[in-house]
Amino acid sequence: MHSSNSKLKTQNSELSRRDWLRLSAAGVVSYSLSGWLERLAAQSANDPARKRACIVLWMNGGPSQMDTWDLKPDHENGGALKEIQTAVPGIRISEHLPKLAKQMKKMAIIRSMSTKEADHGRASYLVHTGRLPGGPIQYPTLGSFVAKELQQPKAELPSFVSIAPYRFLSPAAYSPGFLGPQFAPLVVGEYTGDPGQDPGDYSDQALQVQDLDLAAGVNDKRAAVRVQLLDEMEQDFLSERPNAVSLSHRTAYQRAVTMMRSAAVKAFDLDQEPKELRDKYGRSLFGQGCLLARRLVERGVPFVEVTLSTAPGVNNGIGWDTHADNFETVQKLSAVLDPAWSTLMDDLQSRGLLDSTLIVWMGEFGRTPKLVADRNGRDHWASSWSTVLAGGGIQGGQVIGKTSDDGSEVKDRPVSIPDLLGTVGLALGLDITKQNISNVDRPIRLVEPTAQPIKELLA
Amino acid sequence: MHRPRLLSLGLSIVLIAVCRPARADSQALTARIDQYFAARWSTAGVEPAPIADDAEYLRRTYLDLAGRIPSVGELRVFLRDKSPERRQHLVERLLEQPRYVVHFTNVWRSRLLPEANANFQARFVVPGFEAWLRGQLDQNAGYDQIVRALLTAPVDVDPNQRNNPLGMQSEATPLGFYVAKEFKPENLAASTARIFLGVRVECAQCHNHPFASWKRDQFWSYAAFFSGIRAQNQGDFVTPAGENPEKKELTIPGTDRVVQARFLNGVEPKFKAKVSARTTLADWMTAADNPYFARAAVNRLWFYFFGTGLVEPVDDMIGSGSNSANAELLDELARAFAAEGFDLKSLIRAITASKPYQLSSAPHPGSKDDPHQFAHMAVRGLSAEQLFDSVAQATGYQEAAPANPNAFPGTNNSPRAEFLAKFANQGDRPAEAQTSILQALALMNGKLLADATTLERSETLAAVADAPFLSTEERIETLFLATLSRKPKPKELSRLVRHVESGGVDDNPNQALADVFWVLLNSGEFMVNH
Repeated sequence: MHSSNSKLKTQNSELSRRDWLRLSAAGVVSYSLSGWLERLAAQSANDPARKRACIVLWMNGGPSQMDTWDLKPDHENGGALKEIQTAVPGIRISEHLPKLAKQMKKMAIIRSMSTKEADHGRASYLVHTGRLPGGPIQYPTLGSFVAKELQQPKAELPSFVSIAPYRFLSPAAYSPGFLGPQFAPLVVGEYTGDPGQDPGDYSDQALQVQDLDLAAGVNDKRAAVRVQLLDEMEQDFLSERPNAVSLSHRTAYQRAVTMMRSAAVKAFDLDQEPKELRDKYGRSLFGQGCLLARRLVERGVPFVEVTLSTAPGVNNGIGWDTHADNFETVQKLSAVLDPAWSTLMDDLQSRGLLDSTLIVWMGEFGRTPKLVADRNGRDHWASSWSTVLAGGGIQGGQVIGKTSDDGSEVKDRPVSIPDLLGTVGLALGLDITKQNISNVDRPIRLVEPTAQPIKELLA
Repeated sequence: MHRPRLLSLGLSIVLIAVCRPARADSQALTARIDQYFAARWSTAGVEPAPIADDAEYLRRTYLDLAGRIPSVGELRVFLRDKSPERRQHLVERLLEQPRYVVHFTNVWRSRLLPEANANFQARFVVPGFEAWLRGQLDQNAGYDQIVRALLTAPVDVDPNQRNNPLGMQSEATPLGFYVAKEFKPENLAASTARIFLGVRVECAQCHNHPFASWKRDQFWSYAAFFSGIRAQNQGDFVTPAGENPEKKELTIPGTDRVVQARFLNGVEPKFKAKVSARTTLADWMTAADNPYFARAAVNRLWFYFFGTGLVEPVDDMIGSGSNSANAELLDELARAFAAEGFDLKSLIRAITASKPYQLSSAPHPGSKDDPHQFAHMAVRGLSAEQLFDSVAQATGYQEAAPANPNAFPGTNNSPRAEFLAKFANQGDRPAEAQTSILQALALMNGKLLADATTLERSETLAAVADAPFLSTEERIETLFLATLSRKPKPKELSRLVRHVESGGVDDNPNQALADVFWVLLNSGEFMVNH
């Protein structure tokens, strides 16, 4: 009874922009903006399902599975890095992830990812959206999908924050696609590829929301007068010309103003955290980004993506793209990853948030098992690689799938991107068969119907 | 066909030979459009919106044809013009300006190369592709000629590497289209069918679609026209590796089924010796009697000007879910377009002079909103380029030369590039365009508008504030003309005069005038084409 009721509620609250257009065309809904928002908010409040959050740790460039989660010490493909025992008997991972090794009970490794796309741009799009690029449909990135499902309409912060992304390879992989800019990520700390910008640089300034502060010379009082005037001036235009474009403009401005004035925006003020804790995360863009992710989740943001692109001494915006000097580079990146991620899990747990926060570690593909000897590197490899799920909704302490002794083939339980994203969706308590109307008016599921979620991973 | 031959003879002859008859033909088309909608509105009992006033029409036409709002000077001149043909003269002037070429290059590039946003490889080819498009539009090449050049572009191995995406940054070439589609027959088939024929066949790529009439064999037979193209991987890039122009068959991937090249309507081509498969396809596609080609082109252009096609969706015009309420008019316009030699400017003249295009965007009060009636102009969002160039126009902003002209394409090396990246809305339906919070913040607090609304750094604001001969009313009116391209209404004027003369929060009328400019630039009315 209760569940069917809440399901009905969810459906009602899903008033898409297209529905809205149709209803308004038919004269069913009034053009009163506030009334419409209020109704939406009332419908989706108090839904018990709306608590979960997801943090994606994105490894830009395609991390080497052979040197992180699926080492092959007994094979010539294995290379220079050694294995260590983890907290779970029988599961061994890289020696350069010692803190994570201690937390293996909360983590599940998938060693049998198997895809076909080994181009950075296309694979980034595939892993983020579950689909290949190229067709007419602009698929939303995972964060936008989840934000739409888990957003709280009265939230003062956006439902999707992307920290330190490097979007050059595929801007569309970070885009809300047909769900529209309402579900676009709030981006902080972006690496733009500017030749003068060292991606390894970290300063607190880097993680601030752009343009959140009033322009120089404009104080709070003056800003309030401007916003008030704007509001007055806009009403005529919208009532004479009721239309979706101006309505969205007005909604975005209202949300922007709400955020500027909110207490929640203090989430971006990392100085409020104890120095020791900040040090534990690591004073890197990624480390502090993970801390920011925790602060955002704590304030109800349902989806945060933190990108690890680089590390001290790795002179590259796509650091995991280890065509050369593979072992040195992976070791340096692991030194950033290990403290940041392990501290994040400890910190979430101590605040009672780990059970409701799913953590996903992934990149766009893996690396060739066979070493390229002359440059000591590994190239792009899509047919057998690893991802890791941890925290809320996940049955930790296990390994899914298996690769061959040389690492070049999946021997057990191949996992596709739809399988992975379906598992993520279920771990977050979403209805993964739910459909949204796409930009070409075709209903599109959250996850392709071919998805076979990994049931044994779900807690 | 007179057009292409005469073009080479010189501009003056072209003007006489092409423009005069074209004007007459476009007038006949305009009359037909008006007659059609008069009947339609009457039958449906629809009351159309009144005709837009000159200011609304001017702003709309500038945004549509020049990609930016008009300047205060252009607006004042137009508002003084009392000639009955002033609107047609305006369109004529705009079509001859370089801005038309620049703006329509943006429009066509975003339609033909949507991949530039999804994949960095495709971004490298944008400059060369745009240069090629500019050349085509600059000489007003027929739409059939443009598509033919695209479909038959040689895919050769180029020893000088100009065919490499990196080379395409400087060379004017349509080959970027092939790079963006990865040189794959299936991608080329799906995009050309969708864009040039208004037919969506790619669902049939994998299976016979239960709801559509396209069968898998049909899709792959059409793709077979591109089967001779060969590509290779060179480092991070896919580059051409030559072509067997005579190849006309392919094996459906994952099967051993071989299909022969067939047109989408199932007709078997008559191949001639030494004529490549792609040329044979181009001959069929761009023929005046092709059942899809002219229809799809006219529908796309109509969609561009109105935000809704005559038949919807524009890239799936004959699918089961299509709305073909205005198919009859589309058929007539398409026939005329083909008979006129696919002259884009002529079609633009006909549409922009028509009554539906001239209607106000404020619907008749109480009318129900059915976009397929075209009973009022739609309110459409601006492209990132339109918005930036309009902000620049309104504020007097001028871009300094890029700090690093050789920077990687796609990296943000100028305020304009940064703005375009932030406002690159992916939506392909301008009448449903949305604004994000980051976009709102960028406009409210970002440097571009902050400078524009700071007296010491703003061309427009300083000029308006400093002019000693202007009253407060006139200052505010000038800011309205500069941004919303219209005079303020009495109610707006009195409210804002009060604000300015009170001096706002700082008791400083100039600062209060800056507030007014800020409000106008941030208003929903400024950010749309209505």
